Amino acid sequence: MHRRNFGRLLAAGALLFATTAAVVPATAQAQTGKTIVGGFDVGPGGFQGNFNPLTATAGFTWLNTYFEPLVIYTSDLSKLTGALASEFTLAQDNLTYTFKLAQTNWHDGTPFTSADVKFTLELAKNAESGSIFAARLADIASVETPDARTAVVKLSKPNSAFLSVLSQMMMLPQHALSSVNVKEVAKSAWWSTKPVGTGPFKFVKHVSDQYVELAAYDGYRGGKPKADRLINRYFANPAAAVAALRAGEIQFTFAEPDDAKTFKGNGGFRVIEGDSYVVNYIGFNHRAGIWSDLRVRQAVMHAIDRNAIVSSLYGGAAKLANCGYVAPQLLAKDMADYAYNPQKAKDLLAEAGWEKINGSKPIPWLTYYNTPQVANVMAAMQAMLAQVGVNVVPRALDVPSYNGIVRSEKWQDFPLIYAGLQNGPNPGSLNVGLNAAQTPPSGNNIMRVEMPPLTDALNAAMGETDPAKADGRWQKVCKEMNAALPWGPMWVASRYGVVSSKLKDFFWTPAPGGGPFVSHPEKWDLAP
Amino acid sequence: MLQYILRRTAVGLLMLLALTVLIFTLLRLTPGDPIDAYINPSVPISASDLEMLRTRLGLERPLPVQYFAWLGAALTGDFGYSIQYNGEAVLPLVLNRIGPTILLMFSGLVISVVVGITTGIFAAVRRNKLADLSLSTVAFVGISSPAFLTALLGLYVFAVNLRWVPAGGMSTPGAPFSVGDLLAHLILPAALLSIGHGALIMRYMRSSLLEVLSQDYVRTARAKGVREFWVIVKHAVRNALLPVITLIGSTIGMAIGGAIFIESVFDWPGMGLLMVNAVVRRDYPVIMCATLLTGACVILVNLLTDIAYAAVDPRIKVA
Repeated sequence: MHRRNFGRLLAAGALLFATTAAVVPATAQAQTGKTIVGGFDVGPGGFQGNFNPLTATAGFTWLNTYFEPLVIYTSDLSKLTGALASEFTLAQDNLTYTFKLAQTNWHDGTPFTSADVKFTLELAKNAESGSIFAARLADIASVETPDARTAVVKLSKPNSAFLSVLSQMMMLPQHALSSVNVKEVAKSAWWSTKPVGTGPFKFVKHVSDQYVELAAYDGYRGGKPKADRLINRYFANPAAAVAALRAGEIQFTFAEPDDAKTFKGNGGFRVIEGDSYVVNYIGFNHRAGIWSDLRVRQAVMHAIDRNAIVSSLYGGAAKLANCGYVAPQLLAKDMADYAYNPQKAKDLLAEAGWEKINGSKPIPWLTYYNTPQVANVMAAMQAMLAQVGVNVVPRALDVPSYNGIVRSEKWQDFPLIYAGLQNGPNPGSLNVGLNAAQTPPSGNNIMRVEMPPLTDALNAAMGETDPAKADGRWQKVCKEMNAALPWGPMWVASRYGVVSSKLKDFFWTPAPGGGPFVSHPEKWDLAP
Repeated sequence: MLQYILRRTAVGLLMLLALTVLIFTLLRLTPGDPIDAYINPSVPISASDLEMLRTRLGLERPLPVQYFAWLGAALTGDFGYSIQYNGEAVLPLVLNRIGPTILLMFSGLVISVVVGITTGIFAAVRRNKLADLSLSTVAFVGISSPAFLTALLGLYVFAVNLRWVPAGGMSTPGAPFSVGDLLAHLILPAALLSIGHGALIMRYMRSSLLEVLSQDYVRTARAKGVREFWVIVKHAVRNALLPVITLIGSTIGMAIGGAIFIESVFDWPGMGLLMVNAVVRRDYPVIMCATLLTGACVILVNLLTDIAYAAVDPRIKVA
């Protein structure tokens, strides 16, 4: 470039930025109407960039603002209630579910009917659609539609988890998707450009890696939403979302515990604390050879001062777990409490011959948790275990690396893990991690737990569809877990959301996978 | 000449092919695949559902089969579908991200050049005075500050505390597009991107100008009675700029690296954010396409440079 031209270019650049600094407004432009902006897909319950409910492992809080399932968990996650099904019943055969459907329309005005229910369930059951619900819906023998307002689903065998699975199955419009080849459904642009649901808000647009915008659906059967628009902004991590919340750009986000603490006592915000429904555990790889003796597993439990960790590192915001559950109705009586007792841990290890089993050799301890809080927790446990002669070496990995390793057959790579597994609201969630039939490659029992009494207890509980008897079945599972220690259960920690005080009548709870749960987005309002 | 061009083109294509094999192999050597990235370890999901998903994506096939399937499609311009972006076609996805990255990089570059040269001149003409020492100290801090620190500090101070600019993104969600809104989102990441580069330019400009100011022709100009302002602007600065211009060209790579980091901190929807997300989520089609396009650009530029050299120096053609 000629030097004279270069000088002109510099001058032009300087002018441009001087002008920019002068004319750019100090804050971002205000949106028109009442617009609620949130990081609805931030944190473990979110799934940024996923628009297809058939492939969703999380993100149901957001999906439920424009799609709806037949049934949904109540806001306290204690039971299932009707959503698009105004009523639902299970026949005495424990196999036949009848759903009476709500009178409503899709966002494009087409009536919602039982044909849509049949279409959705058959699409979700068909693995060719890319659905990750196919195996969980495999028990569906038929879906009948005696009339437009009634759908009858018959199972081939009783399944206590069926309705819970249905709560994450968003109903899809037959008229919009039936023309798409089943194999092309997952790749269809429809999901992220013009999806049609029945929820209180309707889809407007998606700006890649930035945000998704919805507008109020005036015809919603629960009443016209108070907010004109609802925007789900995307963030690279929870800290970035918290920064946007502090800057007043969004009104809600999930927050890590350390961030949530900083909002307490601040009148401009409300901190929501809730049960994570994820039990954290020390996973013993049962094929690694070093954990076969029950006394070794008991020693690990006695070596860790869980009360001290919960008190000092979780600030008291976690409940100790002595089996896979902490919900009172699922706890067995007379369970061992595995109180902190390092001397007892040493004695148990000596009895088991730990010196010969492993001695002081380092044991890799994998986790996919990458937060400072968990790093501190694992460091504390490492020190406690070292005191009794168990030498663990924590190693934090990203999720794909972790999953790739624990699903492999190389036992020496993951003799021990620190992980979490969803334990509610449906207690059957733990089945995939503990049932011997779920051992990879057929299932997700990654720690290769093969304990026949526990498997029997799980099978009995999974087949129990009578709510009155179900809790008793799960108590037996709990008792078996407590005695046999397939894992070292640690605690169920709280999770947090932070809401601007400008956001009124907003409901959120840190449900696993984002729920869904009854949250009435149509009532969310923004104070002027 | 034609033969030379053909030979260099063939070498370029072979390098591109080798690049695809290398990236494909390295990606598969890392633990975990797109399905592993898809699973939230805390959420129960059946293995058979995951296997079905793996089969649908063709990940169960032998690696050579996967590679040649990808290569065959890529040769026809079909780079497949993104796994993380809901099956969106990869090529338009990648091409759409180039614009925001260039905007951010160019803006950062302009700021760094303007500020770096201006302060460099100022420091040189006030050599060893308070202004020079202050600016040199600031420049040292700028050069020494890692991008992750300046980006996070900048975000905290200017967006969170002072609220002068938005905390991230490229536009205000839901607001209609406007240049002002775009600039409001651009100015902080661009300014932060420019810090290291601008400090380096300032140092070079200062030392280059000091050297020029001691030259005979500058002394001559002063002796002729030219005003000091014009001596510096017309005679000294223009000559002192030459090494700085070379520096600017050679450090553009630094700006690319910085842009990738800044994009991640500010959720700026460019190539950097796309690539980082693609690696985290093991989105093989996006990583392959973005790497291939970047590699193709580098190879093409080198090829054109070689051809240009050959055109002006006939000895190269024979070599």
